[in-house]
Amino acid sequence: MTSSTGLIFALAWRDFAKLPTPIWGALAGSFLMLVLLYSVGQVPLSYNIRNLTVRWKTTVMTGLAFTLVLGLLTVMLAFVAGMKRMTEQSGHPDNVMVMSDGATDESFSSLGFSDIGDIETQPGVEKLGDRWLCSKETYLVANQPVDHPQPGRPDRRFIQIRGVDDPEISAIVHRVELFPESKWFSGAGVQAVAGEGTPGIEVVVGEAVARELGNDRLPEVRAKAKNPKRLDVGDTFQMAERTFVVSGVMKSSGSTFDSEVWGKRSVLGKKFGKETYTTLLLKAKSPKDANALAELLKNYTKAALNAQLETKYFDSLNATNIQFTIAILFVTVFIAIGGVFGVMNTMYAAISQRIKDIGVLRLVGFSRLHILISFLLESLVIAMAGGAVGCAVGSLVDGFTASSVLSAGAGGGFKTVSLRLTVDAFTLASCFLLTVVMGFIGGFLPAFSAVRLKPLDALR
Amino acid sequence: MKFLSLIVKNIGRNLVRSILTALGTMMLVFVVTLVWSILDFLNLATTAKNTGIKVIVTDKWQIPSQMPFTYAASLASGAARKEGDIKPLDSMTWQFYGGHVTKDKVQRSFNTLIFAFALEPKKLNTMMDELDNLPPGQAAELADAIQKLEANDQGIILGPARMKTLNKKIGDTFTIYSTNYPDINLEVTVVGTFPPGRYNQSSAIHRDYLNRSMDVYKREKNKEHPMARRTLNLVWLKVNDNADATKIDQQIESSPEYSSPEVKCETASAGVSTFLDAYRDLIWGMRWLLAPSILVTLALVISNAISISVRERRTELAVLKVLGFRPNQIMVLVLGEALLIGVLSGTLSSWLTYGLVNIVVGGIPFPIAFFSAFLISANALWWGPVLGGATALLGSFVPAWTARNVLVSEVFSRVT
Repeated sequence: MTSSTGLIFALAWRDFAKLPTPIWGALAGSFLMLVLLYSVGQVPLSYNIRNLTVRWKTTVMTGLAFTLVLGLLTVMLAFVAGMKRMTEQSGHPDNVMVMSDGATDESFSSLGFSDIGDIETQPGVEKLGDRWLCSKETYLVANQPVDHPQPGRPDRRFIQIRGVDDPEISAIVHRVELFPESKWFSGAGVQAVAGEGTPGIEVVVGEAVARELGNDRLPEVRAKAKNPKRLDVGDTFQMAERTFVVSGVMKSSGSTFDSEVWGKRSVLGKKFGKETYTTLLLKAKSPKDANALAELLKNYTKAALNAQLETKYFDSLNATNIQFTIAILFVTVFIAIGGVFGVMNTMYAAISQRIKDIGVLRLVGFSRLHILISFLLESLVIAMAGGAVGCAVGSLVDGFTASSVLSAGAGGGFKTVSLRLTVDAFTLASCFLLTVVMGFIGGFLPAFSAVRLKPLDALR
Repeated sequence: MKFLSLIVKNIGRNLVRSILTALGTMMLVFVVTLVWSILDFLNLATTAKNTGIKVIVTDKWQIPSQMPFTYAASLASGAARKEGDIKPLDSMTWQFYGGHVTKDKVQRSFNTLIFAFALEPKKLNTMMDELDNLPPGQAAELADAIQKLEANDQGIILGPARMKTLNKKIGDTFTIYSTNYPDINLEVTVVGTFPPGRYNQSSAIHRDYLNRSMDVYKREKNKEHPMARRTLNLVWLKVNDNADATKIDQQIESSPEYSSPEVKCETASAGVSTFLDAYRDLIWGMRWLLAPSILVTLALVISNAISISVRERRTELAVLKVLGFRPNQIMVLVLGEALLIGVLSGTLSSWLTYGLVNIVVGGIPFPIAFFSAFLISANALWWGPVLGGATALLGSFVPAWTARNVLVSEVFSRVT
């Protein structure tokens, strides 16, 4: 394929070591089976290859069916892998997330003001100078009217907003960085906007949401903009009947924060009528300390809290991912069965056209097993060639962005996110395994029917 | 007629190939039927209606929408306050109450979760999509459950799937330990069930029970519950047409009553569209990548089978030509074989899918936004035959053309 596809394969190869043991077992079993078939089979593979090239139209059509099935699987799994990677990159094992007791998500949480000061000084919380590494936040999802929606899109959208008290501390705790020229919002959180009596609210936007909001601009405005692809420092947008001024853009980290707008908590909380804290994110010195801190806060008596490792919280947002994975598996199984019937047709036809060949092969001394293996290998060659092309073509989606939702399921919160489709080792391994299984099942029955032929009957 | 019998005989001559092609078609039509049913439903849900419109009133700027319950009465009348103002035909309040059937936080999971709508039970019959248009048997069952919930406001109606997951049955009493209303734990008795399908995972409780429990909390603790001013999540209003919807929107948005928080009105279709926007790429992929790729795969499978069949029958086709069959008749013969297999297997697949998914399974469990399951669209009954037939025609066109152009002289020059 292309060099970029090669690079994807090379990068994905590095992840192979992280594959779960059952996948490794299946991969090893498949390789072993292929090597065994090749070494035990006495009929030269070139015989099969020649036959495949002679009836190349049928071969190509069967291979194309594999290409489509495996291409689809690659794209679908890349979507799931992208979501998984996003949840993994959003949380850090040395961070402890604190919400109010019973809150299944930040948007439902409400922490008492009086408890905040005490919680951040609990043992295990790291310090930067004389400041505790505790990000005090109000998280909310705003409903933004869209003046110029793109064709087919609604005239409203949800924007995730995070109000923070001290952006520098929050940036350290969340590991968020700004692009050059960007700066965090001022202490006041507002600034004068030319021609407007009411000051604009200063915000820092994630790169994905900056792209999304940037697309709202009319083409002529975008053409003259500092950055036509996304909002940039100094740009403005409207929400909740106020002007928001972009003071900075967060570098994409592949996390959910890429889809968030951050501003001064006191300003945003007041504007949206949500003035209590929803979340405290505490940075501990190490994952071990974070574990201890989470346990300590679970038994905190001054207020009922829901304290957990940040990684655990993002794990809980995997419900959508699990649903998608199940749906993909379901769909893939049925498409694959359809594809297998196609291969069977091809192989049955190949055998019926070569009945005399089979008779000759048997007479010159090849055993039933050799014939079986020969046709099985032929089926596997079609499957693997078609599958490899499908996988390679599907891999081209790697790096594309797609919108999706991270959700904890019914009654839980959700985050609208922009994720990067990721072709990883699991995707490639799954494609390889499905190819082998489809090729094997599709070839086995026809090959078995071939070995039941008696040599003399075959020659008649 | 003779032509048709010739087609049927030809299909029966290589039964294995015909069966494999038919099975392949069935599998692929099955998947497309599932995908298109989901898309069809979402399409319907997001298409603006002209009559019998539902207007959703929510917090103007935030989700989840949380408004004080004091808004309920005036919103239910469309904020009509002066002469000339109009009132909605019907209305419904929504309060979301979630919790687990176990007190032990460690044991809590999706299997112990209840996410209930607190509402006026009678509105289930008049305001809820699909529940207002049930087959007689299911309608009577639901009416009975609603009546029981009206009579006993500590009742709960559970979706069949949720009831099974929770391992409960009608008549069981248990406590829901709330997650979004801390300390408001409600003891409920199962009084009935929703019909299978869209409301498989849903639960409904009486709003009076929740509101009364909030009052009890205030009385006992001498302070308002933290959620006290945020218990109303949505109000649905049913109006005649777009003109009425616009008028009521103006009445509500201009009312001074709704200032903290401000509220907004939107049609149900617009509201659903906003929620589904986050899934736009997934929906795009299903519509333009998944379904078309499956259809192309299907056409390839059929094309391959028919190509092989034509190649094997070159001599026979040449004989037919010698016997007086015209090229176009040969072509129709080959297309007819493919069409018959495609239409029959497509029909069988989509009809079976319709019956199995809707009646046996109770919907496709694929939660998107607030839809937990999707029923197979009635349109699937014609999708199957059309999909099977169209892909068969498309896939068999080239082999049929090849068959049409078989040269008798060339074929018989090779016969030994």
